[in-house]
Amino acid sequence: MRGLAIADLDALRRKIAALEKRPVLAEGAAVAAQRPGRPVAANDTRPRVEELLAIPPGVLHEVFVDEQRNGTAGLGFALGLARGLIGGGRQAILYLQLAEQAQEMGVPYALGLQRFGIDPDKLILARTNSLTELLWAMEEAVACRAVAGVIADIHGHPKALDFTASRRLSLRSSAGGSSVFLIRYGREREASAAKLRWRIEPELSAGQPFDPQAPGPPRYLVEIEKRRLAGKTARAETMRLTLDWTENGFVPAEDGSRTGQSYAAPAPRPVVAALGDRYAQAG
Amino acid sequence: MKLMAVDAAASKAGLAPGQNLSDARALVPDLEVREADRNAFEHVFADFADWHSNASPIVSVLTDVAAYGDLVLDITGVAHLFGGEEKMLEHLVGRLSRLGFTVSGAIADTVGAAWALSHFQPGIIAPDKQRDALADLPVVALRLSDEQVAGLNQMGLKRIGQLYGRPRKALQARFGLSLLLRLDQALGEIEEKITPRIPLAEHFAEQRLAEPIGYLDDVLMMARDLAVRLALRLEAEQIGAQSFHLFLYRVDHKVITLSINAARATRDPAHIAQLFVHRSERLVGEYDAGFGIDMIRLAASSLSPMASTQIGAFETDDGARDLDRLYDRMSNRLGAAALMRSKFVNTHIPERAIKLEPVVARTEDDPEAAPDQTLVRPLRLLPNPEAIEVIAEVPDGPPMRMTWRRIGYRVAKASGPERIDAEWWRSGQNLATILPPQKRGDPRDDEKADKKAKQLPKKPEHVSKLTAFDPMQVTRDYYVIEDDGGRRFWVFRLGLFGTTEAPRWFMHGFFA
Repeated sequence: MRGLAIADLDALRRKIAALEKRPVLAEGAAVAAQRPGRPVAANDTRPRVEELLAIPPGVLHEVFVDEQRNGTAGLGFALGLARGLIGGGRQAILYLQLAEQAQEMGVPYALGLQRFGIDPDKLILARTNSLTELLWAMEEAVACRAVAGVIADIHGHPKALDFTASRRLSLRSSAGGSSVFLIRYGREREASAAKLRWRIEPELSAGQPFDPQAPGPPRYLVEIEKRRLAGKTARAETMRLTLDWTENGFVPAEDGSRTGQSYAAPAPRPVVAALGDRYAQAG
Repeated sequence: MKLMAVDAAASKAGLAPGQNLSDARALVPDLEVREADRNAFEHVFADFADWHSNASPIVSVLTDVAAYGDLVLDITGVAHLFGGEEKMLEHLVGRLSRLGFTVSGAIADTVGAAWALSHFQPGIIAPDKQRDALADLPVVALRLSDEQVAGLNQMGLKRIGQLYGRPRKALQARFGLSLLLRLDQALGEIEEKITPRIPLAEHFAEQRLAEPIGYLDDVLMMARDLAVRLALRLEAEQIGAQSFHLFLYRVDHKVITLSINAARATRDPAHIAQLFVHRSERLVGEYDAGFGIDMIRLAASSLSPMASTQIGAFETDDGARDLDRLYDRMSNRLGAAALMRSKFVNTHIPERAIKLEPVVARTEDDPEAAPDQTLVRPLRLLPNPEAIEVIAEVPDGPPMRMTWRRIGYRVAKASGPERIDAEWWRSGQNLATILPPQKRGDPRDDEKADKKAKQLPKKPEHVSKLTAFDPMQVTRDYYVIEDDGGRRFWVFRLGLFGTTEAPRWFMHGFFA
């Protein structure tokens, strides 16, 4: 009964939004995304996105992107996962990078982080001169019980980061309870002790609700290549998801949205707050 | 060219510092001459001076007279540690002479008197006796310039004693104020301040070693012991410190300094010792104990009050402490500049709106710099924008195709432009300071002139040669573009069509 009411309410909201030519209210969209009565194909046995992305802390992730120019998509995805780990006594995310790669890859930008939904004060940038130092810094940070996540940009297939090193990191991470995200580049895969291996590819976004020609919320094609979490068996086949990054976190991209027909993507919450009353007139 | 210093053999041959090089060559044809490297001298001498901080905390180098300096120690309240002033002087001078240096030293109430004595009559002046002791010394001993000395000699004033009763006004008129100043300083009527080379540390712990040590591990162990002692002292005074400095005094007159910084005031000996261990790992190549280290001092600076607390009982566990410790460890191993946080700056120029500052040297946030959250900004910014080639449909429209790092991109979606102007308050600023004040004439003429000036600002001739700061040239139009693969970029066009000769395109950041 209650589910039906929410569905009705949502339908009404859409109708009103269509009449007023402005975006559907954010909470409406969020509810719509999670509502139980969502049309799901009967033979769809895929696990829910929320389940797939609900990863306990203290896990070593590898986030692969095919090319260096896709690196920011990898960073975005890692930050998206790491954001959920902040809380309680864990208030910091560390981003590690080799100092020489600052110009090559760019440096995380506080204003952009804020826009992305990460409090810039919580992200600390560490730039080291060598990979050995970077690995040391990573281990040191993982062992700290106030660090939520450690994200490191690692190019190529360095010797220093072999199976032993990744095993060490993985053990330290599960002992310390903060997650590690290694952003890796290329299509080669080597043996590693990472519990999860993702492959991220940026996808053409859905466009803004009233301007299909403008880039919309970031969309990623996410492949889970490896998933070894406690109590769950590894899956033989890789899983593919298409996710949008919105203010509610990762939301499955709805079919047909590529043509711009999807529900309006809510603007990030800080925007709504900053616009205040003007938001109503924004459409 | 003049001789600056001569060795024993040369002085036997009749050469002396201050002599012309050609004269010296005439006297000793096979003279071996090296050009003085003043910088190197000063460095070596400064090292030397630092090392003497093991005798007294206030060490300074007077550079106004000698080529590379005169070493000055303030030994107030120190001499008794050496068994009296005579013994201290003997000890310090003797140690240097044993190493093969020519040294002369003196102890007096004032810097000026000590200088005079050490150069002309090494010894010790009893308190308040400098007037008599200096009377027979030549006027050069007052640290005067050559002209002043020549002038004084010409007048027959050769000894300092002859200056005592002279009318001051006449002396000042003839030889300048500096003569009186030097005289008063030497006699103790005006206090002469010396600038200590090593900042004065009120809180330190030190250990003299009977047998010099060399291994880094031993040094670090000593540092740990000193940290415990220092911590007790800091705790008694209810203070903590953010910076700690470890001075290692080598037997052969060199000081090795290791400094660490903590993100917040601390006095936990284990933490301090740990930071020095991390700091020392960054040092391996530079560490050279020479013939050994015979004294170690640990000093604390950047002090702040810190109440004594019972550890663990009533602490709120918000993790901030753990984080600070982590930052300390990482910064001291990797360098303070390795660990940065973002700080907002009150400007709208994207690359200047964020300043990276070391986590351990955190400064107050500027409340006015809080950014506008509605702005679309990339997740990563390139420190230096990279030039790209762009084809746009219309000259001032969004790009259609782009070449960046030799790869072509087809733009599928674009939004913008967001125009970011130069900071208007800087526009024309350099001109405003140069423009001469307007002449006041007939008020009506003035009005006309004003109107004209507004239409066409007339520049004085010398200004036209300067490049004026033109905000039009550096106006940027930013676009968010997405290529057909979903990669999102932040690009901008520099300059405006019409006013700029050829607007150029740049890549400035990447969206997630």
